[in-house]
Formats: sequence, C-alpha cells, structure tokens
Amino acid sequence: MRLHRIRLRDFRGVHDREVALAERGVTVLQGDNEVGKTSTVAALDLLFDAADSSRRADIRAAQPAGVDAGPEVEAEVSTGPYRFVYRKRWLRRPRTELHVLEPAREQLTGADAHARVTAILDETMDRVLWRGLRVEQHTAVGQADLGGQDALTRALDRAASGTGGTARPDPTADDGLVERACEELRRYRTPSGRATGELRTAEVRLADAEVEHERCRAALEAVERDVAARDRLDADAAGVRSRRLAHAAQVAELEDRWAGLQSRLREVETERGRAVLARERAETARERREARDVLVAAVEADAAVLARAEEARDAHDAEHTAARDERDALRAADTAAREEAAAARRAADEAARDVSAARDRAELADLAERLRRVEEAESGLAAAERVLAAATVGPDDLDALEDLARDLLRAEAARDAAATRVELTAPAELTIEVDGEPVTLAPGETRSLPVAGSRAVVVPGVLDVRVRPGHDEAGRDDVVRACARALEERCAGLGVADLEAARAARRSADDAARRAAEHRAARDREVAGHGSTAALRQAHDAVRGRLDDDLGHGDDLFSVAEATTEPVGAADLAALRHASDTARAAADDAARRADEAGAACRAAEDAVRGAETRAAVLAERAADARHAHARRAEELRAARAAEPDADLAAAEEDRRARAREAEREHESLAAALADDDPETVEARVVNARAVDERLAAEAARLEREHAETTGRLQAAGLEGWHDELAAAATELEAAVRDHDAVARRAAAARRLHETLARHRDRVRRSYVAPFRAQVERLARIVFGSSLSLEIDEDLRITHRTLHGTTVAFSALSSGAQEQLGLCARLACAALVDPADGVPVVIDDALGHTDPERLARLGAVFTAATAGEGAAQVVVLTCTPERYHGIGAATVVPLAPSRRPDDRDRMHDRDHAEVGDHRDADRDDHRDDHRGDHPAAPAADDTPARAPGTVVDLPRAPRAG
Amino acid sequence: MRFVHTADWQLGMTRRVLGARPPKEAAGGLTGEAQARFAQARLDAVSALGRLADERDAAFVLVCGDVFESNLVGPDVVARACEALASFRTPVLLLPGNHDPADAACVMRRPDFVRRCPPHVTVLDTPGVHEVAPGVEVVAAPWRSKHPLTDLVGEQLAALDPAPPGTLRVLAGHGELDVLDPDDDEPARIRRDGVLAALADGRVHYVALGDRHSAWVDAVDDRIRHPGTPEVTDFDEVDPGHVLVVDLDEHAAHVTVETVGGWRFVRHDAGLDGDDDLDALDASLGALPDKERTAVRLALVGTLSLRQRSRLDDLLAAHGHAFAAVEVLEQHSDLATVPDDADLDDLDLHGFAADAATDLFAAAGREDAEARDALRLLHRLVGGPR
Repeated sequence: MRLHRIRLRDFRGVHDREVALAERGVTVLQGDNEVGKTSTVAALDLLFDAADSSRRADIRAAQPAGVDAGPEVEAEVSTGPYRFVYRKRWLRRPRTELHVLEPAREQLTGADAHARVTAILDETMDRVLWRGLRVEQHTAVGQADLGGQDALTRALDRAASGTGGTARPDPTADDGLVERACEELRRYRTPSGRATGELRTAEVRLADAEVEHERCRAALEAVERDVAARDRLDADAAGVRSRRLAHAAQVAELEDRWAGLQSRLREVETERGRAVLARERAETARERREARDVLVAAVEADAAVLARAEEARDAHDAEHTAARDERDALRAADTAAREEAAAARRAADEAARDVSAARDRAELADLAERLRRVEEAESGLAAAERVLAAATVGPDDLDALEDLARDLLRAEAARDAAATRVELTAPAELTIEVDGEPVTLAPGETRSLPVAGSRAVVVPGVLDVRVRPGHDEAGRDDVVRACARALEERCAGLGVADLEAARAARRSADDAARRAAEHRAARDREVAGHGSTAALRQAHDAVRGRLDDDLGHGDDLFSVAEATTEPVGAADLAALRHASDTARAAADDAARRADEAGAACRAAEDAVRGAETRAAVLAERAADARHAHARRAEELRAARAAEPDADLAAAEEDRRARAREAEREHESLAAALADDDPETVEARVVNARAVDERLAAEAARLEREHAETTGRLQAAGLEGWHDELAAAATELEAAVRDHDAVARRAAAARRLHETLARHRDRVRRSYVAPFRAQVERLARIVFGSSLSLEIDEDLRITHRTLHGTTVAFSALSSGAQEQLGLCARLACAALVDPADGVPVVIDDALGHTDPERLARLGAVFTAATAGEGAAQVVVLTCTPERYHGIGAATVVPLAPSRRPDDRDRMHDRDHAEVGDHRDADRDDHRDDHRGDHPAAPAADDTPARAPGTVVDLPRAPRAG
Repeated sequence: MRFVHTADWQLGMTRRVLGARPPKEAAGGLTGEAQARFAQARLDAVSALGRLADERDAAFVLVCGDVFESNLVGPDVVARACEALASFRTPVLLLPGNHDPADAACVMRRPDFVRRCPPHVTVLDTPGVHEVAPGVEVVAAPWRSKHPLTDLVGEQLAALDPAPPGTLRVLAGHGELDVLDPDDDEPARIRRDGVLAALADGRVHYVALGDRHSAWVDAVDDRIRHPGTPEVTDFDEVDPGHVLVVDLDEHAAHVTVETVGGWRFVRHDAGLDGDDDLDALDASLGALPDKERTAVRLALVGTLSLRQRSRLDDLLAAHGHAFAAVEVLEQHSDLATVPDDADLDDLDLHGFAADAATDLFAAAGREDAEARDALRLLHRLVGGPR
C-alpha cells in the first residue's frame, strides 16, 4: 500500500489541510505540537476502519469543538493493482465516497464503498503489518511484534528458500491454524496447564460420582454388616438363655447350703459374745485387785518420801548454823577494816595538808616579793608622773620654738648677708672683744663680722670701734629683733629662758615619761596572772588567810610570820610530797581491804539468807509429805475396812475360771463350723450370683443391641440404598466414560497444538537468518561493523553483540533499544515485497538518540528506502533536527490550519491554510520563527535571520 | 392342578447401559428416560403374568425367588410391586431368593411391604411344607441369608416323607443345579441326584426353581424347570421373557410357555474394515425392530481410516437416538483408526502445518491413539468454517 495524499477537514484542530506524501522513500511531516501530525495518522485508521455511521469515542473526539461540522477525511491510496480516492465524513451528514481510478474506474458510495475498500485492503495488504510497523507517539520504540506478519512471512519464506525460489502456495491458511489449535487446547486447559471448561467439569463430575458411589457403597455395606450382626446376636441370645437356665439350678443348691451355714455362724457368734463378756468380768476383778496393790505401794512410798524430807531438813539445819557463824565473823572483820581505812585516810589527809601548807607558804613568799616590787615600781612611777606633770614644754611647743629660732636665724642671716661686714685681720695673735665677747684672732686669720644694728669691736686697750649700719640695714635688723622678740615671748610663755632651756625641759620630760613606762612595765610584769595590783594583793591576802586558817588552830602567828618570812625549801616540799603519797597509798590499800571485807560480809549474808529460804522450803516439803502420807494411809485403811485384800483376790480367781470355760465352749463350736468350710461356700455363692447377674446383663445387652440393629435395619430398608447405589454406579460409569473421552480430546488438542507449534517454530527459525541479515545491515550503519544480533523465532531481537560484548535487548539503553527497534521496522519494510508493502509510520520517535547516532540513522533511512520499489516511510516530528540526516527525505512542514474566525482572533501569528508541500515551499517563511530550520529550503526572498527572531510578514496568498 | 411358575422378577433393577441420571439431578428413583421405561416394563411383565394366571384359572402363582433386586430397594419399588400384585386375583406365593433372602433386612418383612401386601399374597419365608389348597402342598426352601452353607433344596427333600395319596407337592427352590454350574466351592449348589430321587419316589411332583434368567428344563425329568426371568435383564440371557403355566398331576407335568416380556438386549459383533462393513452395520442396526425397547451392545473389530472412523461415530450417534441404548463394548472391541493418504490429501495443508500433519500421520500409523485423536481434531479444525 502506498499513500499519495491525505486530506483532513474539521478534524480535531485541523480546519482543512491536505498533505501529499512521496510515493517512496522518506517523507518528514514536521510541525509544532498540536499542529495535527498524529491526527493525520489517526484519521487514516478511522477512514479504513470506521463506517460513516459510527459514533465511536475516537470519532466523537475528532469533531472540532464548537463547530457544527462532521470530521472528514480523504485519502488517495494505491495498493496492489488498485488506486483509489476514498472519502468519509462522520457525525454530521455522514457520507462515504469511493473513486477507484485503477485498474478500472469505479464509483461507489455508502456502505458499498466501505465494503469495497475493506475487500481491497484485505486482498492486497497485510493490515497487521501495517499496525506493527508503526511507532506511536509517546511510546518507547520497542520491538515490533513481527512474528505473525503474513507479508513479512512471505518475504522471509522467499528469502529462506533462496532467491527467486518457488514460494509455497499461500501459507496463510496455516497460520490461523495454530491459533485455532491453541483455542481448542484452551477449551480444556489453561495456559498454566490446569484443567478448565469441559475437562474440569468432567473431572468434577467424576470426583463427585466417586464420592457418591463410595457413600452409597459404604451405606449398603453398613446394612449388610447389620444383617450379619443381627444373625450373630440371635445366636448369642439363644446361647445366653440356655446358659442362664443351666446356671439357675446350681445357684439354688449353693444358696441352700449357705443358708444352713449362716444359722450356725450366728450360734458361734453368740457363744463368742458370751466368752468375751466373761473375760471382761475377769478383767474387772483383776483391775480392782491391782488397784489395791497400787494403793498399798503408794502408802509405803509416801512414808519413804516423808523420811527423806525430814532427813534433808535436819541436815540443812546444821549447815544453816555454820553459815550464820561465818557471817558474824565476817561482820567483825569488816568493821575493823573500815576503821583501819578511816585512820589511814586521816593520815593521808594530814600529809596532804602539810604539802598544801608548804606550797602556800612558798606562794605567799613569792607574792610578797612581787608585791614589794610592785610597790617600788609604783612609787617610781608616781615620781616620774610628777615630773611629767611639772613639764611645761610639750613636743609641739618645742617644735614651735624651734621654728621661731630658725626664723630668727634666717632673719639674722639675711641681715648679716646684707649687712656691712667688718673684716678683722690681725697680724699677730690678738684678742679682741666683739660686742663685749672676747674673740681671739689667730695670726693671719680674717674674721668677717656682719654689721647688724651696731657692733662694737674692741681691741682692748687699744681701740673701740663701733660700727653702725645705715638706715636700710636697720630695717633688717628690726625683722631680726621681731623674731627674737617672738622667740622670747614664747619662751616666756612656756616658762623657759630660751630655746636651750626649752630643749632641756623637753628632754627631762621625755626622760620622766620613759621612766614611767619602765615602772609601768615592771609593775605589769609582776601583776601578770593576776590582772592588777589589787588582785595580786588579794591573792597574797588569800594565801595568807589560808595559811592562817591552816595554822591558826594549833600554831601561833609567829610561825605564820616565820613561814611567811621563810619560804619553804624545795627539798622539804619533795619530802612532804613523798610522805603524802605514801600515806595516800596506805589509805587506798586500807580502803580496798575494807571493801573486800564488806563484800565477803555481804556474801556471807546472802548465804545465810539462802540457807534460811532453803530451810523454809525443806520444812514445807516435809510437812507436805507428812500430810500426803497421812491421807493415803487413811484411804488404805478405809478401803480395807470395806473390802479386805483377801476377798479381792478370791473374786479375781473365780471370774477368771469362768471366763476360761466360756472361751473353751466358743472355740469348740467355731472349730466345728470351720470344718464345714463356710468361706468356700460363701465364695461360691457370691460367684454364682455374679455369674447370674452377668448372664442377665449379657442377655439385656444382646436384647438392646438386637433392638438397635433391628431399628437400624428397618430405617435402612426405607432408604432404598440399593437404588441409590445402582444410580451412583451408573453415574460413576458414565462419569468415567465422559472423563475418558474429554481427557482424550484434551490430550489430542495438546498434541496437535504442540506439533503445530513445533513445526511453526522450526519454520520461523529458518526465517531468522534473512531477517537478521537485513536488520544487521541497517544496524551496522548505526553501531558499526562489529555489531551482531540474536533474533528468536518470533523475530524479536534478543541480544546485541558489540565489540565482542553481548547484552540482552531489555538491558540496552533506551536509545539503543529505540535505534534497534527502528532498524527492525525499516528492515521489515525493506524486506517485504513492494506489492505487499505498507508504509512505515514513525510518530516522533528517537527522543533518546544522540546527535551522532541521529546522523547515522539518517543513513539507515536512506539505505532502507533506496532502490526502485522501496518502502514508503512517513516520519512525524516536531523536532525536525532529528531527521536532518536523512538524505533523501521529502520534507513537508505543517502549520496550524485554523478556521477563519480563529485566524482573525489570532491575527497574523500563524497563517497556514490548506496546503500541500508545494504550498509549503512557497510559504516557508512561516517557519521563520523557527529560524534555523535547515530542512526547510531557504526561500530566496526571505531575509536571513538570526535564530529566535519573530517577524510578521504579509500573509501569503491563500492556496487552493 | 394348574399353577403359574415364574421367578427372578428382579424388581428395582437398573441397567447401566440404559444411561445415567443426568448429573446434579435429585437423588431417588430411576431417572433417565430408558431406565424409567425399563423399570416400568418389569412391572408390566408382572401384571401381564397376573392377568395370564387369572385367565387360565391357575390355582396360584409361584415366584421362585428374587422377586426384588435387593432387600434394600426403595419404598417406591416396594409400593409399585404391591400395586402390581394387588391386581392379581390368583393367590401368589413369594419365595425369598439370593437377592432378597429372609434375613434381618428382608424386604418382604419390611413394614412398608407388610402394610401394602395384598391378602392373597403369601411369603414363603419359613422353610417346610405349606398347604396352599386342599390336596396341594408347596415345600419351600427359602434363602435365609445371602450365603447359605448347605443345599437348601436337598435339606428340605431329605426331611420329607412321600406325599400322602391324593396330595400334589411342589417344591419351590432357588439356585443352580450342580449340572448347570459345576462350581465345587459353592456349598449351596442344588444336588440334581437328590432332586431326581425325590421326584422318583414321589416325595414331590414338581421342582420349581428360580435364579437362572434363561428358561431351562432338565433333560432327564421335565418336571425340573427354570422359567427364566419374565423380562430380559442382560445381554447374555437365552430366551428370557416367559412364564410357565404348569398342569400337574401325580405322574406328569404339562407345561405351557407364555411370553410376557417386551424388551430385547441384543449383542452384535461386527468386523469393520471399510465402507462396506459400515454400510452393513448401518443396515443391520436399522433392521432391528422395536428399537425403543432394545439395547444394543456392539463388539467391533477392524481397521478404519480417519474419515471412516468419523462416519462410524456419526452412524452410532444417529442410531443411539433411536435405540434405548447403543454401546460399544470396549473390552470386546478392537477397532483401529489408521489414516490413509486420502485423509492427508483431504486436509489440503501447506507449509509447516503440512509437516505437522505428516508427523502426526506417521505417529498414528504406529498405534499412537493420541496422535490419531490429534489428527481427527486437525481434520475438524481445517474442515471447519474459516
């Protein structure tokens, strides 16, 4: 089939457009998105498939929005010997028109036209291949399902059987056969091999029948068993009846014997009772006699106890006395020891007092000495303080005086410096008087005298020189005088003659202060430990008082005084202290001895008290014993009075004799009975009764089981099990037959399918080689000469080997899959006989292919479509760069085809109208906004433009 | 004295050849059209012999065992049997046989039977002499269990004294004579010598037997007889469908055979080696009368081509609709389907399909049944509408 032109009217977004296609080789339909590229292909499918009356969803979708017009498609097609123009309109005024141009002109409309086209296409075209060689938009370019394509199969058959070989007559018949065989198989088995449909039904029926048959057979067998059981039960019941009858006689005889034995047993029992009674009486008599014996023994025992108690009491009395004596002795010892201890204590105290007095005396002497020194210090201190009190010049006063004196000196110095100087030089030693004072001048010595005020230099006897200063010198002298006056006044104020006197006064005052401090320190040293002089004195008086107290009684004051005046020597004190220690040790010793004596005394007291208590206890015990003895003796006496011992003994003997007699009687009777073996008889009777009971129970059980079995049989009789089993057996046989037949058919279907499939696969394998050769030829253009492919019987590429590396198809990159898929389709198109060929339609593929490979793919397209009678390839794209590499491509740019009213609204942005590629050639400047469109032939009248610029151009004249 | 001797009514019997009840149908009763008609035919035969007895003024009808197919037949079978018996005017004596022994489950003691049983029917479930009419005694040898350990008839005969003068004695027994089935292991086999001796010394005057579905008469003494079943039950029976009308005196029995049955079970053996044989089979089946009351069992031997085999299938299916049943007995058939070249040409296959067909043909020639089936399927698929 070849497409010559396609015209769309009111089809989706397309108002009216006709596209002409190159009859062979590649036609590229390029245009923006939504320009209607895919619609063109879809329209072709609708044209061939959908009757004009159809209102399918995809037809309704093809109607343009808001327009009251039906979508319309027209195509000019040649296929086989036919060439025809076919037009269809849907939804609004539906119409179908067919103009057959070749081989004979023919015109048809309506359903006839549709039927005619369908017939032509079926006759001349492999419609499955038509679908298979198409690459839809937005779907990965995968593998085309080429295995079942008749046209391809024919081509491959030709190739497989050698060039120009005898093509087999019409193998198309064979192809559907596999599918039909498969369908037949599917009637019985699912693809996974499970039974289904008829086979499943037959299997279920068979299983059900088997179950039902088994159920009926089991029920029937149960009845048979019951029948047998009933027979057995009847026999058993008869047996039991006869055994019971035989047993009854034996039971009666045993029962009689047993009754006789029982009455004798009762006699023996009575006799035994009697014997037991007599024995009991004998026992009573014995007990009474024994009680008397016990009583007598008790009286004797009591007497012994009494004697022992009294003996113990007497023995204790002696012990008691000894204890008292010892206590008295200890008491005396204790008293003596205590006195001794007191005396020792006194002696010790005396010695201690002596030591104390001696120590006090020493202390008193010390204190008196210190007191004396204190008094000395205090008197010194008083003297010094007196001096201090008399001192008039304080340190500040002295400082003031010093200042004044300095001022005077400075004034004098100033006066002298400014004053006229008299220099005196004597050629020989000469004594002169200067202002009344003798001054000796050494020979050659020059003495300079300032003249302040007046100066008188007298060389005695020789000369009086009076030097007076001038007036201005007198002023300076006044200052000196003022200073001297101030000094004098101050001195006078202080009561001293001059500065020297003041200094002396000051020095004496300081001296007195120092002495006072020394005395105070001495005093403080002495009173150290007492705080003050008064306290010291108080301490002294206290010691003195103490000594007075100690000695006052026996000694006179003299000794005190003596003691006071004569301090005790250290040696004496040590001796005294030693004596005191010795005395204290002796006292302690005596005290300890006194304590020991006291303890011994107390122990003795305790012993005496214990002895007394024990004596009381023993006395009590003796009294009790005596009392008990008396009472028991009284009891015995009374008892003997009532019944003498001899009577008791006689009664006991009598009773015992009677008891022996009764026992003898019983034994003889019992022995007589035992001879008749009553136990055996009893055991036999018991056993006979048990046997009878068991037989009765057995009979009852048999009767019950008989009744049950009979009941079951009666019920079973009404169930009609025979009929059920017969029906079930019949059904089972039928089910088996049915199942066998179906299973056989299923097996046959499988066998047929397997055989056919095996042979088909074998044939297909022979198709693989030529197909692979063609695909490899094309794919090597893309991948290079090292490429080889593996292709399975379904003509799918399974592996690609490149540079020795083999990769599964599914593991290849999207780009490589896409390129191989395209190669396979183009190879297919190239292989198929031109008469059988169909256009390969590629809707915007190769999105995954890089520019290098795109260029190579261009060569593939060219190679696949070279030559006379080559396939027709239609490429739809919005990215024409992808297909630049196709050398022999015919390019048809598509522009939006809008309705006139739409166009007005859109101004001149787009102005495509109905047009074929010839129009496009003229109007290619419409694509100028795409700038670098190399596929579009450059128009001479269009200025060259940079990419991306948009230029409004006058609208092209409307074509057609 | 005249009486009707019959046996082996086998009421409640079904035959598998007559078809199963359709799957999923409710249980109980006979279903399937042929099966139901067959069951009715058995009852009709009973009614017919009853009418016959009435017409011939028989003293009684003696049924020598196997009145019922089983002690466990359904209440519907019992009810219908009782209805059929109720239509008799002649007294009826029913002897328990091996199918309906007088054991604990005995159908003729079941409440549903006892309630419906007409008064002129007597069940001979106790062994010994029963006086059925003045001067007429029936000695019953009923089966008490399914597997008796003695010759029941012999036992009864041994206990008998010669019949008093003027009294006719008929022995009613069930089982094969030892001459008919020399099975040494079967203790219940009837000793023919004892029977002949009893007839000879006048202890009994007629030995009425049951159990054998084909009619039979003793070669030495024609007073020992099997009447056969009154309605056919199997393909191997000889001359079934009759009852005996016996006129008896102390010396001899005059027996008339009367037909009451209407069904036929036919076995047909055929060799099939070509279209001619198929034609013959077709003709012979077509010639059989009363097809709706006839069951045919075929044993087919021979070799057919694929096409002929298809024709045979069609032929049998077509006749199957007319007959009560047509079945091919596989174990007695040896029918090979061997495709020939004509079959292969018929297919008109090309390419790999032709190769596959050739493969299958070769396998089919090697007795591969599955391959033959596959070829037949291929035939159908290719021949079917495209």
